[in-house]
Amino acid sequence: MVRKKHRILLFGFGRYGEQIAKNLALDGHEIAIAATTKEELKVAANDGFENLYVVDIEDDAQLTDLVLDHSFTHIFCAFDDEEKNIYLTITFKALFRTIPVIAICESKETERKLRLAGADRVIDTMVAAANRLYYIVEKPAVAEAIDEILFKDKSILFEEIEVPKGSILDGVNIKDIAFSKKYKVILIGLVDRELGNKFVFVTRGINHKIDGGDVLVVVGKKHDIAEFKKLLGEES
Amino acid sequence: MNAAQLLIKLAFLVDNSLRYQRIKRFFRNLLENDDYPYKKYFDYFMIFLILTSVVIIIEEVKTSIAKWLYYYDVYFVTGVFIIEYLLRLWVYNDVHKIIIAEYEESLFLERPFDLRRVLKDIAKKKLEYILSPLAIIDLLAILPSYRELRILRIFVLFRVFKLLRYSQNITHFFQVLASKKIELFTLLMLVAFTILVAGISIYVFEEHANPHINTLYDAFYWALVTISTVGYGDISPVTHEGRTITMIIILVGVGLISFATSIIVSAFSEKLNEIRENRILHTVKKLDDFYVICGFTNMAKLVAKRFKREGVDFLIIDSDPTVVQEALNMGYLAICEDATQKEAFRHINLDNTKAVMTLTNSDMHNIYICLNVRSFSKECFIISRAVDYTSHKKLKLAGANYIISPYTTAGFFAAKIIDEPIAIEAVNDILIARKNALCEQVEILKDSFLDGAQVGDIDFDRYKLILLGIVYKDELAPSEEFRYKFTFNPDEETPLKAGNILVVMGYTVSIAHFKSRVIESSLKHGKKKA
Repeated sequence: MVRKKHRILLFGFGRYGEQIAKNLALDGHEIAIAATTKEELKVAANDGFENLYVVDIEDDAQLTDLVLDHSFTHIFCAFDDEEKNIYLTITFKALFRTIPVIAICESKETERKLRLAGADRVIDTMVAAANRLYYIVEKPAVAEAIDEILFKDKSILFEEIEVPKGSILDGVNIKDIAFSKKYKVILIGLVDRELGNKFVFVTRGINHKIDGGDVLVVVGKKHDIAEFKKLLGEES
Repeated sequence: MNAAQLLIKLAFLVDNSLRYQRIKRFFRNLLENDDYPYKKYFDYFMIFLILTSVVIIIEEVKTSIAKWLYYYDVYFVTGVFIIEYLLRLWVYNDVHKIIIAEYEESLFLERPFDLRRVLKDIAKKKLEYILSPLAIIDLLAILPSYRELRILRIFVLFRVFKLLRYSQNITHFFQVLASKKIELFTLLMLVAFTILVAGISIYVFEEHANPHINTLYDAFYWALVTISTVGYGDISPVTHEGRTITMIIILVGVGLISFATSIIVSAFSEKLNEIRENRILHTVKKLDDFYVICGFTNMAKLVAKRFKREGVDFLIIDSDPTVVQEALNMGYLAICEDATQKEAFRHINLDNTKAVMTLTNSDMHNIYICLNVRSFSKECFIISRAVDYTSHKKLKLAGANYIISPYTTAGFFAAKIIDEPIAIEAVNDILIARKNALCEQVEILKDSFLDGAQVGDIDFDRYKLILLGIVYKDELAPSEEFRYKFTFNPDEETPLKAGNILVVMGYTVSIAHFKSRVIESSLKHGKKKA
């Protein structure tokens, strides 16, 4: 499966940074890690990461040089300390308007501040865990299913796929295709460009007409999804 | 000697009788145990009797009442009161235990059984009850039924006092005042002293000059009316000396009143938290199948929000009063306790909980809490949050059944969000159950239309549902983690059996409809077979 590779600058290698770096590396992205202390980077080096930088997050010149030298495509603020993430987001938005900044936070309050600071994407780290907790205690079978699909079984993928113009699905109604029978993938929902840029679940029961440019969100086995993508790509 | 033997025999008979003990326990619960579910109804019944009888007696003062009302009050209400009084006297302590204790002691010391001492002990215990304030009120409340003595009707007041027994709020009020016994006593002494001094002085100065002050009683009456700042004015000083004293005691009176107010106010503000906590614990005692969340952290807030939305009961424990206040303001049940201490769980029946969640930001605290909870209950399910990866093992040892780490999920989400923002949003929607996208588990019931069918037979599209997979439950699994096995997107030929769980996605209404269909068909076929 060929995917666009990004050059990502990740700030912080604490509890969050470590997990994020590992997941990013798994997807084959190019990662550089910056931290404020040598100790953090030592851990990163032990985990096999290269391109490590010690930075002073209050030194704008140093940050500018770092980004310009390596032409990063994304910046990740993943310090365990939320305040540092806010500060860093503001700094980068002031220095480079266009590079997308992704930041993590642990509370609604910080999320609000990060959005004000201009972060392109904000992840509230507690939301997923807290809601998983609910499923574990109240609906264990659902929890097991979600765990299996998202985390445990690496052969099951949760993916979004853009429908190319002129492909076999262009101009087809979703009701007319049995995705799970024909392609062995489950269609969860889609962004129907005709109806705006919002994501809609298929269970809503609306019979969408798929056009080129629409985004499908599917779950399926790795090779089934690869097959499905290939099929989509063929006629374009 | 014969009487003594008979008594001992009787005592052992009673001690061995399960039936006797069951009956006694029932009445003890009904009368004294606030947590007993049926006590409430007994209390309501008694309150009803009291109110009606008070109304009847007051009505009777001026007019004559119907015969049946008279009989109702004199025989029924009084009868119930007398029975209640005797029952309370009975359940106050166990007489047979005193007899047996004495008998065993006499055997041990090889001395004759002392009947007189036993009777004295029994009488002492029962007298102890009879002389307690509430018992006196009960006894006096019976008296107004004796209509021949009109003066006894004043004891109708005691029927009103009797209401105290059945109302927790008023009892709390007295408990709060009792905590300030010393201050209130000081105040009383001060008031008595002031009245004494002021009363005597006015009597000395004005007895001959003032036509209204004839006795010392008048003087004391005037003094109290004046220092309380009520000042009826029916008696007022006429001499210069009298007026001087009046001015002084008015000033003293203002001071005394503010003193009294401050004592009562401070008593309440000190006890307010305790009372509120008691209330919450009382509510919690009535719950079963609830969750205990230790530590009201960001994660706990989200869990609480979800529970609230799904209508699940839970109790929050945190050691920081400001955080507890925040939780209370959000309308959650919360108490301020240090969950690492034994006291925190003393009033909570952990066997009634569905799970205890330790969600503090520190692994050390979580481990302490796990150990603490385990020391109370071997059975209850504990879920703990882990901060450091190295703590997983320690938490397991401390007794946690399940460990959750927000860092692993966060890492996954953060990494995927760059390339697949829409997919991640969809996952989030499903997890949070936003946009009405619900992931549900539907257990296949015996004899339902799903039982024995194949996946391909069921038209999930028609139900507007997506089948994500099937979960097979293995009850014999050694640990929680292996109990469920998930099969993703099963083939059309996959057979379905009762006990398997379908994991479906869809709208709330679609799922509810599907579930009701399953239950319906199960009932219908079950009946047919029978």
